[in-house]
Amino acid sequence: MVTLGSYLFLSFALFVAGLAVIIARKNIIAMLLGIELMLNAAALNFVAYTRFVNSNIDGHIMALFIIVIAAAEAAVGLAIVIRFFQLRESIHIDDAAQLQN
Amino acid sequence: MDYTISSIAPIVLLPFFAFAINAFIVKRFTKLAVFISCAAILGSFGFAYNIFCDFMTVYSADYHIHKTFNWFNLSHGNLNFKVDMGIYIDNMSAVMLLMVTGAASLIHIFSTYYMKEDVRYGRFFVYLSLFTSAMLGLVLSDNLLSVFIFWELMGFCSYSLIGFYYEKEGAGNASIKAFMTTRVGDVFFLFGILAIWSIVGNVTFVDIYKTIAAGGFDGAMALGIPLATVAAFSIFMGTVGKSAQVPLQVWLPDAMWGPTPCSALIHAATMVAAGVYLSLRCYPLMEVGNLTTAIAYIGGITAFGAATIALVQTDIKAVLAYSTISQLGYMVLGVGVGSYNAAFMHLITHAVFKACLFLSAGSVIHSLHDHHTHGHVQEMPRMGGLRKKMPYTFIAMLLCTFAIAGVPLFSGFVSKDRILGDALLAAGYSKSFIIPAALGFGGALLTAFYMFRMMFLTFFGEPRDKELYDHTKEEKISWNRNVPLLILAVFTLGVFYSGSLTGQKIVKVFPKDSIEWFKTLIVEPKVEKFQNYQSEPFAWTDTRNKTRFERTKYDPTYGLPQEEYDHVHHVHLIGAGMSVLIVILGVGMAAMMYLLRLWNPGWWVNTFARFYRALQNKYYFDDMYVKGLIKKGLLPLNNLLAAIDMGIYDRYAIDGWQYVVRKIYLVSKWFDNIMVDTVAVDGTGASVRLMNIVLRTLQSGRVQFYFIIIIFLLTFSSYIFNQNF
Amino acid sequence: MFENILFFISSFLVLGGATMVVLSKNLMHACIFLLFTLFGVAGLYLTLGADFLAAAQLVVYAGGVVILMLFGIMLTGGTENKENRFGIEKIPGMGSVKTYIVAGVSILFIATVVLKIIANYMRHYQQTDLPEYMTTVERIGHSLLTDHILAFEISSILLLGALIGAAMIARPRKS
Repeated sequence: MVTLGSYLFLSFALFVAGLAVIIARKNIIAMLLGIELMLNAAALNFVAYTRFVNSNIDGHIMALFIIVIAAAEAAVGLAIVIRFFQLRESIHIDDAAQLQN
Repeated sequence: MDYTISSIAPIVLLPFFAFAINAFIVKRFTKLAVFISCAAILGSFGFAYNIFCDFMTVYSADYHIHKTFNWFNLSHGNLNFKVDMGIYIDNMSAVMLLMVTGAASLIHIFSTYYMKEDVRYGRFFVYLSLFTSAMLGLVLSDNLLSVFIFWELMGFCSYSLIGFYYEKEGAGNASIKAFMTTRVGDVFFLFGILAIWSIVGNVTFVDIYKTIAAGGFDGAMALGIPLATVAAFSIFMGTVGKSAQVPLQVWLPDAMWGPTPCSALIHAATMVAAGVYLSLRCYPLMEVGNLTTAIAYIGGITAFGAATIALVQTDIKAVLAYSTISQLGYMVLGVGVGSYNAAFMHLITHAVFKACLFLSAGSVIHSLHDHHTHGHVQEMPRMGGLRKKMPYTFIAMLLCTFAIAGVPLFSGFVSKDRILGDALLAAGYSKSFIIPAALGFGGALLTAFYMFRMMFLTFFGEPRDKELYDHTKEEKISWNRNVPLLILAVFTLGVFYSGSLTGQKIVKVFPKDSIEWFKTLIVEPKVEKFQNYQSEPFAWTDTRNKTRFERTKYDPTYGLPQEEYDHVHHVHLIGAGMSVLIVILGVGMAAMMYLLRLWNPGWWVNTFARFYRALQNKYYFDDMYVKGLIKKGLLPLNNLLAAIDMGIYDRYAIDGWQYVVRKIYLVSKWFDNIMVDTVAVDGTGASVRLMNIVLRTLQSGRVQFYFIIIIFLLTFSSYIFNQNF
Repeated sequence: MFENILFFISSFLVLGGATMVVLSKNLMHACIFLLFTLFGVAGLYLTLGADFLAAAQLVVYAGGVVILMLFGIMLTGGTENKENRFGIEKIPGMGSVKTYIVAGVSILFIATVVLKIIANYMRHYQQTDLPEYMTTVERIGHSLLTDHILAFEISSILLLGALIGAAMIARPRKS
């Protein structure tokens, strides 16, 4: 029986997976992957609530915007990573700990 | 006569302006400067004579001019503290003004003769002008403070004139000695002014009289001594210094290093008389302070002691110097025995005849030129028989010698006899006055002796230094050499001061009511008269009340009952008789020794060798001061003070302060290091560093760390705020 | 029935892909597993009746983001473990035991709270009748151009900015 709870659990699992990637990985691109996972979890939640709790279309709209933002984030994030790699020849997150100069 | 400021102020201001102008032009226009000085003092004499005539016309003992203005006023509440400046002229001041300007004028004129060849001819007149204006200012002053100012100004002029020949070492030393010795008295004087100020709140004479009349001095004590005594003693110490009384007489003989006219003006006629004048002005204070007996003793001792020293002097000016001290002693004796009028009369008569004596001595000295040393001769052993060479000087000097010796009909007899008579009277009332009276009579004997000794040695007998005598020019009468002498000599006659010889009605020359003008007009200031006195404001126009003064009638009895008057008269007659006998005795002894050569002075010298040596050494006063006071007292004191200064003050106060400061520095350094630097500054830094560590850890730049924190915080907050639990 | 099968397949893809994204030692493999996950999410969207979203998910993510990620991975050195000239690992390890322990603790912590919230929510949730499947494209289009026109325009500006910014940032320059 597929209910709201199963979607919420899946969403939770996705979110946790993304979180685990962000915390455990030291690679910036891997972390971007984790962010994608978390964004998808959020979007899945919106759509699930739209389906099971109220029937309007706003959840879909929100998910759509999340996809847009994810796309933009991926583009800018990767641009930063590439730029960082050009400067430091590294995409290790701890190399990007310098806050000034 | 109406008085405005323009009829009084020129008396002081003319000589002062002369000084101010001459100080600048004297180098280039010496003759003009001399002329200005002489013209100024003569003009001053004219104004003084004007005032004197007015006072003689009014002829009232109470007549006076008093104009004051408030110089500064620090009074508030009960505290009265102010200084009034002003002019106070009473009969005494009027006479004094006439005497000072008159004597100064004649001395100025004589100086044009005496100082003619001197290299600093003009400068001498500059000093004379300044001195004269200071003296006149002192006479006109109505308060002790301006008296003190002029007093010090005169002290400065005296210093400059004693050291006039500063090329000579002795002159420089003498000027310093005079200045320093009088300074001792001046310090006391200033202290006395402060003591009076503390009680009266003002220093005008009138206010002092008022306070005395109101009993303001009663019961005021300072260190267990009545404050009136302290004040009176301090003021009198000023007199002692200025008038060369024992023990501060040592400066006056040395003051003879100055040019003779300045000796005549300053150290005989006027400045030394200023001390006595001050004592007379403060006479009520002396009485309140119970100081009259001590004053009488000091006067008597000075009169006698100086006379004994004068016996053995060979320098003609030294003899006159000691006779000056002696005569000043008589004046002080007069103050002490309550003979106010006679003391002032002796001041005036002495000023006249002593000025004349000094000018005559100057005339003699100036004529005697030693061709070997190119200097003037002052030693009497080299003189003798000079009356043929300079007869006019001889006449003037003889008249003055009669006066000072107290020969009847001359002024010295009148005034000195009255002092001695009063001393005798006082001795009759109180035994403590016997010694001063006896010293006074003894001094009179010695005065007659040494003055005639001087005369005999100088003008009589055979010339002892033949070469010197032959080189001396015959005296021709000249306006600036002999005329001043003769004018002064005329005024040594007693008739100008008193109609009678003994002060009483024996011989009458003038009409009856002006016969005893001196005795009538110069009256002791009765403090009761000043109780409700209001001084007039100082103004350019005359605003004072035109009070009609009754002409004071001559009262020979002084308001005494007839019996007492008879007693006084009797005592005075005895005194006069004794004086005449003494004069005859003194002159006779001098004649036996020096004129007739019947007694050999050497025998006396050998017989009283010890005493003679003491006299030669001026009773060892100088030695005592130099060896005793200065070497044993002041020098060790100086060393002690230096040691205190170096050892205690420098070492403990200055260095100790440094030690304290160093300790404070250590403490403050510790405080600075520990408390401020370590705790406050470094503590701030450390706390910032601590926060930095915390914050730096938080803000590490590690994105994942941020992320964990965000997640935990979000979870935590959602756990707390979620209401579904 | 069909949606149930789709749900199970999709959920299997999502859970498996996500697990492999977490655990994969190779970044390139992780990226491929992410693609599986995104496909699974798109399948879930379909089961939820969000046809347009599912299509957008596939187009944008599979066609755009993952390709972009793969380009990024390739541009930054591929998969080989090499050290750069500073001695820094070019492609660092995908994680260490320590970081995974931290991640596990964090997950446990968050799970205790979130699962409790979900369980609590689901306890009070009552299943109502689900609406019929119907196309959402018209409604989404209508809604985007009426109610959410502002957000729509802003997102278009955002995309333009991201495009220009990414090009600007990644632009190679001499220094």
